[in-house]
Amino acid sequence: MVQVKGIVVIVGNYGSGKTEVAINLAVNRKRAGLDVRIADLDLVNPYFRTREARKPLAELGIDVVLPPEKYLQADLPILSPVIAGLIRQPSQLTLIDAGGDDVGATVLATLADSFRKRRVHMLQVVNPYRPFTDTVTGCLKMRNEIEKASKMTINGIIGNANLIDETTMEDIYKGYDFVKALSDESRLPLEFITAPVELLPEIDVERFACPVLSIERQLVPPWKKAAELRK
Amino acid sequence: MGKILMKGNEAIGEAAIRAGCLNYFAYPITPQSEVAEYLSRRMPEVGGVFLQGESEIAVGNMLFGAAGCGARVFTTSSSPGISLMSEAISYISSAQCPVVFVNIVRGGPGLGGILPSQADYFQATKGGGHGDYRLLVMAPASVQEAVEMVMTAFPLAEKYRNPVMILGDGLIGQMMEPVEFPEHLRTEPSNKDDWATNGMDTRKSNKPNLVKSLFLSAELLEEHNVILKAKYDRMKQEEVRYEPYNIDTDYQALIVSFGTMSRVCRTVIDDLKAEGFETAMIRPQTLFPFPEEPIKQAALKESCKIVLSIELNMGQMVEDVERSVQGTRPVHWYGKAGGDVPTPEEVIDVIKSFF
Repeated sequence: MVQVKGIVVIVGNYGSGKTEVAINLAVNRKRAGLDVRIADLDLVNPYFRTREARKPLAELGIDVVLPPEKYLQADLPILSPVIAGLIRQPSQLTLIDAGGDDVGATVLATLADSFRKRRVHMLQVVNPYRPFTDTVTGCLKMRNEIEKASKMTINGIIGNANLIDETTMEDIYKGYDFVKALSDESRLPLEFITAPVELLPEIDVERFACPVLSIERQLVPPWKKAAELRK
Repeated sequence: MGKILMKGNEAIGEAAIRAGCLNYFAYPITPQSEVAEYLSRRMPEVGGVFLQGESEIAVGNMLFGAAGCGARVFTTSSSPGISLMSEAISYISSAQCPVVFVNIVRGGPGLGGILPSQADYFQATKGGGHGDYRLLVMAPASVQEAVEMVMTAFPLAEKYRNPVMILGDGLIGQMMEPVEFPEHLRTEPSNKDDWATNGMDTRKSNKPNLVKSLFLSAELLEEHNVILKAKYDRMKQEEVRYEPYNIDTDYQALIVSFGTMSRVCRTVIDDLKAEGFETAMIRPQTLFPFPEEPIKQAALKESCKIVLSIELNMGQMVEDVERSVQGTRPVHWYGKAGGDVPTPEEVIDVIKSFF
């Protein structure tokens, strides 16, 4: 079972699946009885953001913290003071979904004051089926760039190997082997891996030395329906 | 190589490299910027060039210069950026240089917004720039199809010595789908010695090549325009591409839709089928040349009562649909232009309102 709690910052290269992972992690921990808040810090990309899942998350009692409406379309990365407050008075799980790459993580550096003296868990999402993170070297390069930009240290890995709708069991197993090797090489613990909820019944979880987070896809194109999230 | 997960914008960049295009000039603009970001990393790896121009006007003319020398070259931009390139597009068309343009369309007019749109249909198919010219325009509906179209675009641009435009929308650029790439194609336009200013010593012939768009005498300009028209007519004969969907049924409504919007319409057709109501779609893959004849024939099916043009704009392609249907069936338009893609439920309500 996934055991993440406290302040957790989700980073990774763009398109690694940070937001989908953050949403599903929030839902998973909420179902386990934790008090959960999730902050959308993606000031870089206007497409496929946490805010799109605001309604279903709210129905589960998960608070989604967004920049104020009037700043939503701002060209400059304006960070709401609410975010700093969120860090000063964290919930049992406070998830911060940063933007992609080092560019998206830069905004974290402006929160340095708030993060000081707090235990923060920064986790790097890795999908080895994405360009530039298909090698261990590529993932370590991304880790360095994000750490430099955010002025924070990554202390765990989330394996998010997937090809969206076309993900097979084989992809999950191969993806696990990849992030396991990355974990060994980087000495960063492998916090958990993900698998689409549809594949979960068939997966041999004994094969993994880490928990598996099931993904009920929320960020879908307009012609598809998001998975219904039950309490 | 197996499948990988890519954003449309990244896949377009990679497809150009696989097509042997090692010259990319561009200026970043949302929702297209990831092409530039991706190629700024990838081009140096393959010995190619990515040069960010000081503006889209500069980029347009850099493309003209490179293509005139016989280099395989392309650019990507989004709506306002393509407007700035329009003068160069007209010159490039007149000078008959092969260039591939990718427009990841955002909402307009003016600065508009940064969300998905198909409001540049007119700009792409009817001009944008001045004069009697046409672009060969292709509209992908998936990331994989964007890859295939980019790879087809280069040989087509060279076959016709004419610019080819890939008209995507913000969602085609931003969404991620699994993709596969075929291997490399050839790296240079094969016919370029006949026309490009690539240096006399590299060619066998002693004939100097001239790349130009100025024809001051009425006779020469007339002759030039007749040559161009013959090319566009040949495109109409040889390059029409479209995909029919659910066309073998006794459908009551025929939908014409392209790109992202057609993906929603597919879901609509499937959902209505489940309710026992048959509809069908012609999805133009080329917007110029437009699949006039297939749409005309599909509309003429006895069961078909209406034709619907469904677009992410305020009604542009509908004019070509009307032209194709030639008054044999009522033609209606439905669309949105703010950036929200209509949901399948919204489209279903619209279709039902006619019955």
